[in-house]
Formats: sequence, C-alpha cells, structure tokens
Amino acid sequence: MRTHWGETAMGFLVLALAALFLVWSLSVAQAGRLGDGYSVTAKFGDVGGLEPGAKVSLAGVKVGSVSSVRVDPKTFLAVVKLSLDGDVHVPSDSTAKVTSDGLLGGAHIALTPGGAEDDLQPNGELANTQGAVDLFGLIGQVIRPHPTDPVPAASAASSGAGAAASGN
Amino acid sequence: MNEGVTGSAEGPAKLEWRGVYKRFARAPVLAGLDLAVAPGRSLVLIGGSGQGKSVTLKIALGLMQPDAGQVLLDGVEVTALSEGARRRMFSGIGMLFQGAALFDSLTIWENVAFRLIHADGVARGEARERAVAALQLVRLGPDVAQLYPGEMSGGMQKRVGLARAIVGQPDILFFDEPTTGLDPITAAAINELIVDKVRSLGCTAVSITHDLASARTIADEVAMLHQGSIVWRGPVGELDTTDNPYVRQFVSGSSQGPIDANV
Amino acid sequence: MAIDSDGAGSAPAAALRWVALIGRTTLGMATEVGAITHFASRGLYAAVTPRWFPRQILRQLAAIGFLSLPVVGLTAWFTGAALALNIYSGGDRLNAEQFMPQVVALGITRELGPVLAALMLAGRVSAAIASEIGAMRATEQIDAMVTLSTDPFRYLIGPRLLAAIIALPLLTLVADIIGIAGGWQVGIHLLGISPATYIINTTTFLSAWDVESGLVKAAVFGFIVGLMGCYHGMNATGGARGVGRATTQAVVSAAILILAADYLLTTLFTRL
Repeated sequence: MRTHWGETAMGFLVLALAALFLVWSLSVAQAGRLGDGYSVTAKFGDVGGLEPGAKVSLAGVKVGSVSSVRVDPKTFLAVVKLSLDGDVHVPSDSTAKVTSDGLLGGAHIALTPGGAEDDLQPNGELANTQGAVDLFGLIGQVIRPHPTDPVPAASAASSGAGAAASGN
Repeated sequence: MNEGVTGSAEGPAKLEWRGVYKRFARAPVLAGLDLAVAPGRSLVLIGGSGQGKSVTLKIALGLMQPDAGQVLLDGVEVTALSEGARRRMFSGIGMLFQGAALFDSLTIWENVAFRLIHADGVARGEARERAVAALQLVRLGPDVAQLYPGEMSGGMQKRVGLARAIVGQPDILFFDEPTTGLDPITAAAINELIVDKVRSLGCTAVSITHDLASARTIADEVAMLHQGSIVWRGPVGELDTTDNPYVRQFVSGSSQGPIDANV
Repeated sequence: MAIDSDGAGSAPAAALRWVALIGRTTLGMATEVGAITHFASRGLYAAVTPRWFPRQILRQLAAIGFLSLPVVGLTAWFTGAALALNIYSGGDRLNAEQFMPQVVALGITRELGPVLAALMLAGRVSAAIASEIGAMRATEQIDAMVTLSTDPFRYLIGPRLLAAIIALPLLTLVADIIGIAGGWQVGIHLLGISPATYIINTTTFLSAWDVESGLVKAAVFGFIVGLMGCYHGMNATGGARGVGRATTQAVVSAAILILAADYLLTTLFTRL
C-alpha cells in the first residue's frame, strides 16, 4: 500500500489535539470538584425549574454556579448545591434567592449579603433562602382575585406586581 | 448448428455447452449453443464482435447464468453449483482476462499469489516464492515482483495475468482475447507463451479471439460463432481450405458474404 | 399499447400512461429496495462469519478511519464554534446563554458529532469505495477474483462494511471532543467565559448516554456509508461514465439515508 505521509501526519495531529483537550478537560473537571472554588448548600421550598449549571450572582455579577439540585425525601425541600468562586466570601447570614430575569428567563440564584461578622464557610449552609415565586399563580390572583383568598404575603405581592407590570 | 458440425471428439469432453440460450433485454446473444472440448485440446472460438464469444466464456465460468441449457465441466453441471462447490471448481481453472484484470492496489507478486494466499491458505513467504517462480515461467524476472500493475506495459500485464492463471496448476485454461491491444511482436510473444504453457501443463485450453494470427498459433481446433451458434468447426489446418462461406468471409476479411458488417 | 387516432380516446390513454408510469416507478423502487436488502445481508453475513481477511480490514480501517480524521476534526471544530456563537447570541433573548456550554455539549454529542462525521464520510468514503469497486467491476477485476476462488463479498465488501461500522463511532468520539473544544474556544476567547467554568459546566451536565447514543447512531451511519459505496460500486455498468454515476449515487443515497436514519434513531432514543 502506498503511504500518504501528509495525511497520516494530519491524522496524528488531530488525534493529539483531541487527546490533549480531553486530558486537560478531565483534569480541570476533577480540580473543579475538589479545589479552586468551594461549595455551599441552600434549601428551598420551591426552586421553580432551577437546573445544574445555572449561574449564582452577587450584586448582578456571576460568582459561581449551581452544581446540583435534588429533593430531600424527609423534609420535601429542594437541596441546592452551589459552587462559589474561591475569592468570593459572603457573610454567614446572606440570603439566597431563586429568581429569573424575565417572564420566560432561566432560573438562577441571586445572593444578597447579610450583616454578620463571620464569613460563610465551605460546605456551610445558607440558612436564609427565598424560593421561586409562582408568577403565573400570582398574576392569576391579581387579575381575578378570589373573594375568600387570603391576601398574599407582602413581599410576594410586590414582586408579583412588579413582574406583571414588566411583563405587560 | 447441428450435430454434424458441432459433434464432440471421441471420448468424454472436458468442457461442454449443451443447448445454451442467453438473451439480453430484447436481443438473443446465444441461441442454442452446442460445443465441446476434449481433454488436452486447445479450442479457439472465432467470430466477429458482438457474436456472443465473451458471453460463451462467462457462462462456462459461471460468471453469468444461461437462460436455458447446461454447461458441463468434467461431466458436472456447473451453472447451478453451491458457493463452496464453485470455489472448488475454480481451483482447477485459470483465466486470462482481456485487459489482464490485475488488482491494481496489490503488487505484482501479490497478484500472482492471490489464489495461493486467499483461497488456498498458503503462507505469504511461500506464496511469494511460488509467485516469483510462476513469473519466471512467463519470462519475467524477480525484480518486477515489487512493482504495481500501473507501472507496467500492457504486454507485461498480460504476462502477469498468465502467470496468475497458471500458478495454481489448473487443468483448464481460458483466454479472453489474449492479444487485443498489443503490437504484433508482443502479441506473437504472448501467443508463443500460451502455447508453451498449455503444452507443458498438459491442460485443456479455450480461447476466444478475432485475431486470426493468434488463432492459428494457439489452436488445435477452431470453432466459428455466428449469431449465437456454431457455424463451423474443424482442425486449425482446415481454416484456409474450408468452403464454409462464413469462415471464408471471416478469413478473407471481405465485406461480401453471409456476414453483415457490424458497424 | 396502440395509440388512438381519434380525440375521444386520447385522454384516457394519457391517463393510462401516467398510471403505468407510476406503477413502473413503484415496482422499480421496490426492486431496488429488495436488491439493496439482499446485498446488505450478504455483505453483513460475509463481514461477521469466517473466513476473514485481517489485512483487508486493517487497510480499510486506515483508509476509512484514520485518513478521515483531519476532515472530521476540522468540521467538528467549526461546527462547535458556530453552535456556541449562535446559542450565546440567540439564547440571550431568553437568558439562556448561561446554558451555552451544556447546549453545545448536548448538540454535539447527540446529534451533530455523529451526523457531520457521517456526512463527511459519505462524501469521502462512499465515493471512494464506489469508484474503486466500480472501476474493478469495469476492468473485470471482480470476475477475476471469482475465478481465483475468492468471494468478492468476503474480500471486498465485508472488510469495508466492518471497517466503516468500527471507524465511524471512533471518529464520532474524536468529533465530540473537538466540537466541544470549538465551542469552548469561542466561549473563552470571544465571550469571556472562564475556561474552567466552561469545562465544569459541560462535564457535570453531560450524561454517559448522551455520548453513547451518538456512538450507536454512528455505527448505523457507518454501515450505511459502507453499504452505499459497495452496492453502487458493484452495480456500476458502462465504463467510466457508469463509475461516475455510481459514485454520485453512492454519495447522495448515503447522505439521504443517514439523515433519515438519524431521525428514526432519535425518535427511538427519546422514547426510551
């Protein structure tokens, strides 16, 4: 068989590049799970379609991402694991809130710093959380309020009204 | 055409066509062909272009199925053989194709040794030695063994094709237009090689050609095919003395006679 | 069929001709499908039962698999990069751009990796096989092989089918990696995503089945690529022009069958 040296060399080059990228990716993925950033958990009553990979922001700036979402079978709360950048340290009483930017936007997590002196430790828990708001339920209530319905909680009502207004 | 002109020689035939019919689309190509070759004889089938010579050969080799009729090799019907039986049948057959039909992705020695390596399971080292020996028989040196067919002239390719046909010690050899496309000197050399090999192997030979010089050199007997059946058959010496109008016209190359020029 | 000379009979006669034409076409297609099925089963049988020709299989693996790496790699890189850009700019509208690494990974492994590698092979390999076997048919090399007691289905068809079925999943794996690398490169250089974040998002999101389903598809596509090349090559008639026609038919039919099979397999996989 006559050999095509050029093509053979190109083939090896492609294989080498692919192998290099794969090895690097796997090492980064491994490191990402162990060091660099740190992870904390937060429990929510309702995460409203939050997915792994969604961003975690602080003052609107991305500081990490959601690494897993699961349900605690005992408390029926959604347990969300957040992976935060190593250089971001928030007070231990900070609030995590599931939010979305628009009516159809993907859900993500916004952190609001608290006032405590000590920082949240790796593998710690964000105790103050605010779950996803059922926007469509709220809109429904605003448009056709049922006479016997209890008045929605003040914060939810205000955010619901804001969302409804921006949605118009 | 009838028993008189096509009747086989005395004794059992090596190869026999019995009432073979073949048609393509609308046109009949073979219309009840009866022909037989005795063992150890060299039969040359002559005839104009498009008279069914190639089809006759392909049906005998089982590369094509006849619409009706039989082909008997050593008295065994070959048209309806199983895959394995056909492979065994081919171990006694050698065929030299018109364009040599060498495998152009393989070297010369791999071409010659193809049957040995792929059908007989001979080890590559031994197969190579036998291939070089076969090349010697067609007067090609061992230096060509490593070349590819594309690097050779048409005449040399024919020699390699012949070496490939005889390497398995066949007892019947087929030649399809062995001299077509060769200059007269090379053609004469190929003819001489064919005669030499057929004699020394003692095998039966069936050739088709429209080259009369070739037919005169390699034939013991000549049969003429016209419009799908045999119109004349006789010893090669009678080719020039017969009063058969078809043969006379073919030999003289005249446009006058029972054969219409096929333009 | 006699053609009516009076005007009254011509309309039904014309209609009848149309019916006859439709009937002939349908019958022709059924015959073709039957012929391909018969050919495929013969080829597969030769590929999976002895005797094998290991040299031929290795040779075809090199020709089909290894030498296709550059073209498959380039295609995958550019597709991954373009996909990343599109998802980033389009996903912006519904704040989905944060999922760009995941969507790129999913799109490449499940769909674009196998399909693009297969389409590249349809162009490169189906054509090469069809023209090689077609030329062998035209120069009586196939007939010569039969007279040398060797079954062309075992020596020519089987190794090519086997090599294509093995090579395409491997090429797809490379295409997956390089395609994701293309998206990654766009993500970090043009869009300012951190290299590590991109990779972590991709690896935590991707499941094994995303990659595996793509590889299963690729094996089926490999079979199609090999089969169409061999079938049209073996059935080439009429010299150089016939070989050219066989090559074109091999490429076109392989591409169409790949896309049809992709839809069927995706339907099947999403139901699982």
